Amino acid sequence: MRVIAFAGRRLAGAAVLLVLLSGVIFAATAVLPGDAVSAVAGVDASEAQRADVRAGLGLDRSAAERYASWVAGAVRGDLGNGFVGDRPVTEVVATRLPNSLLLAGLTLAVTVPLATLLGLWTGLRGGGADRLVATGAQVIAAIPEFVIAALLVAVLAVGLEVFPRVSLVPLGGTPLDVPRALVLPVLTLSAVGLTVATRLLRVSVADAAATPYCEAARLNGVRGTRLAARHILPNAAGPAVQALTLTTGALVGSAVVVENVFDYPGIGRELQLAVAARDIPMVQGIATTLVAVMLAVLLLGDICARALGARERHGR
Amino acid sequence: MTTVLTAPRRDRPAGLRAPRHRPPLLIGTGTLLVLLLALLGPWAAPHSPTAQLAAPFQRPDGHFLLGTDVLGRDVTSRVLSGGRTIVLTALAGTAVAGAVGMTAGVLAAMVSRRLGDLMVRCVDALAALPALLIVLVLAAGFPGSDTAVVAAVGLATAPFSTRVLRAAADTVLTSGYVEAAVARGDTRRAVLRHDVLPNIAGPALVDTALRLVASLHLTATAGFLGLGQGGAAPDWGRMVNENVPGATLAATPFLAPALLLVLLSVCVGLLAGRLADMVGRGTA
Repeated sequence: MRVIAFAGRRLAGAAVLLVLLSGVIFAATAVLPGDAVSAVAGVDASEAQRADVRAGLGLDRSAAERYASWVAGAVRGDLGNGFVGDRPVTEVVATRLPNSLLLAGLTLAVTVPLATLLGLWTGLRGGGADRLVATGAQVIAAIPEFVIAALLVAVLAVGLEVFPRVSLVPLGGTPLDVPRALVLPVLTLSAVGLTVATRLLRVSVADAAATPYCEAARLNGVRGTRLAARHILPNAAGPAVQALTLTTGALVGSAVVVENVFDYPGIGRELQLAVAARDIPMVQGIATTLVAVMLAVLLLGDICARALGARERHGR
Repeated sequence: MTTVLTAPRRDRPAGLRAPRHRPPLLIGTGTLLVLLLALLGPWAAPHSPTAQLAAPFQRPDGHFLLGTDVLGRDVTSRVLSGGRTIVLTALAGTAVAGAVGMTAGVLAAMVSRRLGDLMVRCVDALAALPALLIVLVLAAGFPGSDTAVVAAVGLATAPFSTRVLRAAADTVLTSGYVEAAVARGDTRRAVLRHDVLPNIAGPALVDTALRLVASLHLTATAGFLGLGQGGAAPDWGRMVNENVPGATLAATPFLAPALLLVLLSVCVGLLAGRLADMVGRGTA
């Protein structure tokens, strides 16, 4: 029951935060609508045409009024229509978000086992290997994602010609129809995610290994894999999951970049196209969706960490 | 910055971690070289970085040392001219983040605990937004403006500074000597000037260095996504974006800026890490 009450409280907090942040997003994009009108009406439109466009887009109302009606629509699942091509924002989100989640899921599937192994190894062993991995992670973390992607393209797509340079997906198909096209985006995102996750796990593992509980297990003769799997990992998992979810924001950013490098048909690609076309409703809708997804991940991480923490207490 | 980093320290115990205590000569030189290239490069460009001079994706030759890019512009000139915006924008963004973070952090530590907690809560809400999302959204609101990129980079990285500096200032404010200073009647301003600011200078320096790493990362990415001053202006990030589609035709147009970005971000990143290690040990 306590977990449910906790989840309810955090859910309410996340909802309030979502409303606040959607307001911030709206304010940053919509308070200055000058370019939205020129973008739709064309640069050489007459003043009357511009006024028509402005009224047609509903930009003649005050910002607060527009925000209120936008929120009212958003609650019903209607995020309005984009300026470019008049596409419903909700539909774009509904078709593109699953592709991005697929990318995220595959990245997690690659990253979690590898990061767990590397984190356990470096956190328990210390010494030279630990320093090497830590420095390696620091180096890769500093490089912008698109540069990593470009280098991977240079080696794997151009040099060895193993994987396609762009993730072209046949019309009406899903990225799963062309698994080869998924490799480079997933590889890039995994490289970025692995550095973050390994560093966090390494710290958690080192902390867990220093607890009297693990010390006692070690003195009782528990060693090697058994020590790692039974004693260290359950104690390190909670803090590591929580720390990991806090980096979701950065990973959402990475995903946006990687989708753009490989022309992957995800929501980040749509966001960049919308920004380039000054398609304000699309930007607002996609940005708010991304924030919502992120808050959901944070919430899930908090609940997972708490569940893992609770088990740890019973285990003692 | 390098003088601080290479200053000899004799008080360190030799031991397991001793190899890391050598002054970072290699990284320092690398950083200096790439910064000089970025800042002075525009004056050394042999051709106009924006003029179309030849057919696209020409192989490197005596006339065009790194070949030509997607529009037939000289890659050498564009590489030489394309770093300044990134470095200056990142520095400006770091300055904004540092100023905002320092002010907000110290303020949050100096006011009542409740108000301070509220401030940090608001800052956390801002930190929940992905940094790149802030940059993209602001770029959509203020298209084609480098100032918007600077503001966005500053805004996206400031929340972390605020937290770190508040924690640092908090430690100082709850220490015995500050209590003594307050007890003998020092004003808040005097406490701020003589106790708080000198003592959080170390953490603030480390924090600024880490923000610079984040700023470079974001600025380069903003360039790649075509935000900020657009069009033909050279920018390492945008060059990668423009020339990756022609990767099979010519590698230098995107590899040259990509490798320079690697050099720049890795060197600055390692320097910041080293600085954090040093100050961390110094204050611990």
